[in-house]
Amino acid sequence: MNVTALPVENETPASTGEPPVLDLQNLTKRYGSFTALDDLSLTLNAGQILGLIGPNGAGKTTTIKILVGLIRPTSGSAKIAGVDCVQDAMQVKRLVGYMPDKFGAYDNMRVREYLDFFGAAFDMPSDQRAKRVPEVMELTGTEYMKDRFVESLSHGMQQRVGLARTLLHDPKVLILDEPVNGLDPQARIEMRDLLLELAKQGKTLLVTSHILPELARICQQVAILTNGVLRAHGTVEDIGHQVSQRRTLEVHLGTAKHVAAAAKIIRKSVEPEAEVVESPTEATVRFRTAQSEENLGKILRRLVKVGVFVTQYREVQTDLEEAFMSFTQNQSSIAEPASDELESDGVTTDV
Amino acid sequence: MFRALLRRELVTPLRRRRMIVFQIALATLFGLLIAARWPTDGQVALMGARSQEIFRLFSFGLMATLLLLFPVFPATSIVSEKKSGTLELLLNSPLGAWRIYFGKLVAVLALAGMILAMSLPAAGACYSMGGLSLDQEIGKVYLLLFLVALQYAAIGLLVSSYAQSADSAIRLTYGIVLGTALLTLGPHSFFQGTGGTLAKLGETLRCLSPLAALASLSGADSIGSQGLMTQTDVMGRFTAWSLLCTVIASVWTMSRLNHKIFDQSRAAGTMSDDLSKSGRFFRRLFFLVDPQKRSGGIPSFLNPVMVKEFRCRRFGRLHWLLRLTAICAVLSLGLTYATTAGTFDWGVETIGGIMVVMQVALIVLIAPSLAAPLLSVEFEHRGWQLLRTTPMSIGRILRGKLFSAIVPLMLVLCATMPGYLVMAYIEPGMQLQVRRVIICLAITAVFAMLVSAAIGCFFSRTAAAIATAYAILLSICCLPMLIWMGRDAPFGHDTVETALSFSSIAAAFSVIQMPGFEHYDLIPANWWFMGIASVISLIVMPAWAYRVSRPQ
Repeated sequence: MNVTALPVENETPASTGEPPVLDLQNLTKRYGSFTALDDLSLTLNAGQILGLIGPNGAGKTTTIKILVGLIRPTSGSAKIAGVDCVQDAMQVKRLVGYMPDKFGAYDNMRVREYLDFFGAAFDMPSDQRAKRVPEVMELTGTEYMKDRFVESLSHGMQQRVGLARTLLHDPKVLILDEPVNGLDPQARIEMRDLLLELAKQGKTLLVTSHILPELARICQQVAILTNGVLRAHGTVEDIGHQVSQRRTLEVHLGTAKHVAAAAKIIRKSVEPEAEVVESPTEATVRFRTAQSEENLGKILRRLVKVGVFVTQYREVQTDLEEAFMSFTQNQSSIAEPASDELESDGVTTDV
Repeated sequence: MFRALLRRELVTPLRRRRMIVFQIALATLFGLLIAARWPTDGQVALMGARSQEIFRLFSFGLMATLLLLFPVFPATSIVSEKKSGTLELLLNSPLGAWRIYFGKLVAVLALAGMILAMSLPAAGACYSMGGLSLDQEIGKVYLLLFLVALQYAAIGLLVSSYAQSADSAIRLTYGIVLGTALLTLGPHSFFQGTGGTLAKLGETLRCLSPLAALASLSGADSIGSQGLMTQTDVMGRFTAWSLLCTVIASVWTMSRLNHKIFDQSRAAGTMSDDLSKSGRFFRRLFFLVDPQKRSGGIPSFLNPVMVKEFRCRRFGRLHWLLRLTAICAVLSLGLTYATTAGTFDWGVETIGGIMVVMQVALIVLIAPSLAAPLLSVEFEHRGWQLLRTTPMSIGRILRGKLFSAIVPLMLVLCATMPGYLVMAYIEPGMQLQVRRVIICLAITAVFAMLVSAAIGCFFSRTAAAIATAYAILLSICCLPMLIWMGRDAPFGHDTVETALSFSSIAAAFSVIQMPGFEHYDLIPANWWFMGIASVISLIVMPAWAYRVSRPQ
């Protein structure tokens, strides 16, 4: 599929020259006429965290399942630490720690027994397991629940045990599907710190989540998928810039009386379709525009000239949530006008 | 509101395609049962003996169908709602406990009514042959079937209100059905005509069985009867027992349809390792293998899946297994010792018969619950996906699972070995019989385990897997007994022998020379059947596991 869209950076932003740990090239998965994943190319270096986001049915789980060998791609290749996920599925299993979105509990099994079983399933010798199980329990804060039955744990507790299970065989790459789902704020902060710590230890992480502020805080890279197509890939800031072909600006006024006058001037100065929102209670005017820096300066000058009491005139940073909404809600409408603008700048990307 | 509940309980399951298949299969089965014995010559018996023979066979078939297929519906009714979270919504609605309960009871009875309705054309065919009274014979049989449905629906719902999972509810309900319908016939079969307390106890217990009530209605010899007539009003006693059971179970279940049903702690309890020295000592006295003691890591030489399976089963943990084995060993040795010491004047055949019945019942009850959920439990709880992301091969996973099922069965069998050895010592002439019985039981255990495992792998729900495995296994073991009940008329010796060749219970009975089975030569035909079925099952299970594990 050849779609002109916002720039997608297939190269790792902070490329170090080392071979990537995660290397997806033109990965496609079709079920009959339905395309679940379309020509996805991504790379990720060691010690980095990639946030994979997209609406339901975007192709995130398909990507993950291809990486862990649960499904096979129709075409393209997926490699983890140079090992092909299709040809060498058994070796990949030892390199990857996979935490699915559903826990996978066994009845009447205590947490320590559960972890011991998965350690044994990864062929860890019993003496090694005896050391490793307490280690991962300490790392994930699950030590206090070692004697509890796994099915009796709350969702948040199960998430932690799931992460402990994922870390047991000390994998190079961690693939975590919704790891912070169901966690309380305190546990979420702890999980965030833990993931950052793991990345510091050199582990490469691929994380999906619907809690975008969490991802924005921990991920060096973010990839946005919709309908199986990679819409954007880069750092959170890059993605914000990709979205903000229309930037959001906010004018703070010294008095609410000036709100209507300021809004009138702004409306005259920006594109007719630009959204201008007045807030007399907060004495602010917020607007989204594609005007250049120079024109934005002219708007400020005009406001000051007519006597509007401006206390602040600033750009509101586009956060990940906003970027995500832009891509998912208006994927087609964004792509087309944006492509015109980008083509004029000479930037066209095949996705 | 009540109607809405009833519609949801009844119409929703009827929408499923498998229910349509199930109804068509039932109607066909009953039709074939009649067609097989429909008179083909121009003569008509004025006394209607022929139609009574056919109706007797048909009514036992109907009873067996009801006992095999029906209990799964009430057994899963409440527990599946509890698991899916909809019971909380129901209890939070203005519907009271009694309306929820009766909604469920009427819905499962309607399903029983549907099973019975499928049989009406066949019953009509029997009636049209003449010699049958609508109110005295056909009407009473259907009334009895309704009572049976009512009783087991109430018991199933009660079990369901206590169960923590659908499969444990099914296991317990089928255990109760097996116990009340079949095992209650055992003491009467062995002690009838002897006089004394045991004979009276046997007679009383027999009245709890719907099969005995049906036999008394249809004028057939009761299962295991030795041609002796009794004056007991079996039908009357069964009616009273069935209604009493229904009332008690209903009141009990309704009393649980409130906060109590959710008020169950899943606390891990105090670990024995954390107890004082004296506490640890006392637990050591009571438990050979303490379930509250922190278990060690899985030894590297053992298959981890096998150990996991043992640990996951509430009754599969070693302490339960040891208790079960100990009970079997003590019972078999006790029975044999009592006979040797002359406490009871029982023949060796009687002792052997009791032991065979107990063991086969235990195998048929345990094997499906152990083996049928081996794969379905993984599919249901998403464990299969996790296992597939480990480096373990499918073969290793399956080996671990099959070993985890066969080991308890073999332990139970081994537990009765001392009893058989003593028996062979008392009566040296029975050595060959004892040897053949042991082989029969061992093959039955392997057959029951492999067939249940193969059936179970086709289901993604544990409850459905266990229920189907029970129904198929009980059909194979018990349905030939229906043919046996019609021995001499309408079925000839060869037909009965062929039918019994499929039943492992009948094979064991014929080997031990149980009265009624001594004229049938079922070995080695039965061993061939079970061997071939086991081999097919052994091929089917891995083939299916590879199929579902292959990356799509």
